[in-house]
Amino acid sequence: MSDDKSKVTDKASEIAKNIWLAGVGAYGRAVDEAQTNLKKAAPTPPKLFRELVKAGSALEEEATGARDAALSSVEERISQVRENFHMQRLARIEDLEGLHSKVDKLTRKVDALTRLIKEQQTTAKPAAKKKPAVKKKASARAAPRKKAAAKSASKSGKKKV
Amino acid sequence: MKTRDRILHTSLQLFNEEGEEQTTTVDIANEMDISPGNLYYHFKGKDQIIGELFHQYEIALSGTLTAPIERPLSSPGNVEENWYYLYVVLEEMYQYRFLYQNLDNILQRYPDIRRHFKRLIQLKRATLYAICQTLIQQSVIDTGEQQLLGLVDNMTLNLTFWLSYDHLLHDRRDPSVSIHQGVLQLLTMVAPYLGDDQLSFYRDCEAIYASMLEEAG
Repeated sequence: MSDDKSKVTDKASEIAKNIWLAGVGAYGRAVDEAQTNLKKAAPTPPKLFRELVKAGSALEEEATGARDAALSSVEERISQVRENFHMQRLARIEDLEGLHSKVDKLTRKVDALTRLIKEQQTTAKPAAKKKPAVKKKASARAAPRKKAAAKSASKSGKKKV
Repeated sequence: MKTRDRILHTSLQLFNEEGEEQTTTVDIANEMDISPGNLYYHFKGKDQIIGELFHQYEIALSGTLTAPIERPLSSPGNVEENWYYLYVVLEEMYQYRFLYQNLDNILQRYPDIRRHFKRLIQLKRATLYAICQTLIQQSVIDTGEQQLLGLVDNMTLNLTFWLSYDHLLHDRRDPSVSIHQGVLQLLTMVAPYLGDDQLSFYRDCEAIYASMLEEAG
């Protein structure tokens, strides 16, 4: 089965490449020929098409440099999209729900800590001051930061286009 | 930036924002704060500007479209690369969206552009064919030959006219939503042929789209 498949693929990429080559060689009719060829996947390409592929091959060398550059830039851009996509995936509804429950939990914790501070302030003022205050700050910040990241992701997507 | 490049840059911006038909060379000169005579020194008219912009577009998009034909974008472990690639193509098309906002009209007025545009469609077709072949080879999708050709044509159709359709229906939309939905539509066509593993990516896409719409309100 995989043998058949790779055979099909080889043939297809050859056809695809031939279309590209014909395109480099000439416009217009070449493309129509290529189209029919692609449709039928004919074993022997028509004569005109063959000639155009030949003409295209001659130009191919010239075009190769430009194509290599395009290829690496395509890869770069794909990786950029990939990053954006992952960022956006973070902002899915389920994630947001998870975030909400996390915020709720943290809020409860902060409340408890605030109570604790008050209690401690009434008993032993100087000792309790520092530690709980720091904790409160960190927990309050955690949630909005994640949201902001998702937002900036969609924004940067906008900017790029 | 050289004046000539600035003219092209400004023209593209105005065409995209205001529409190509509504924009005159005087508008372009005014926007740039140069005299119409100065603009005329670089371009003999709007036709030439459009021709040059299309030429740029053709070179850029051809380069992008050729990549998957030259060499598969994915190995069996990272099929998603193909889907990310669709974003790249649509983003590039979006940069020259003025073409798609008034496509028939432009193609009728500029037979030269029409010919080259046709060529771009053919190349798109070859590209999507190459991608689908890779997917078949990597056992990501499973189709018969006849189905495959139909699928490739449908995808080409969708990719080519997505921005026209989107513009017609929604006028001005957040570009990231337009582009994302365009990719989602293309994936929707592949989805029936996808295995379970790949469907999870499709679900992610759907979820992102849903939250995008929610955000857009």
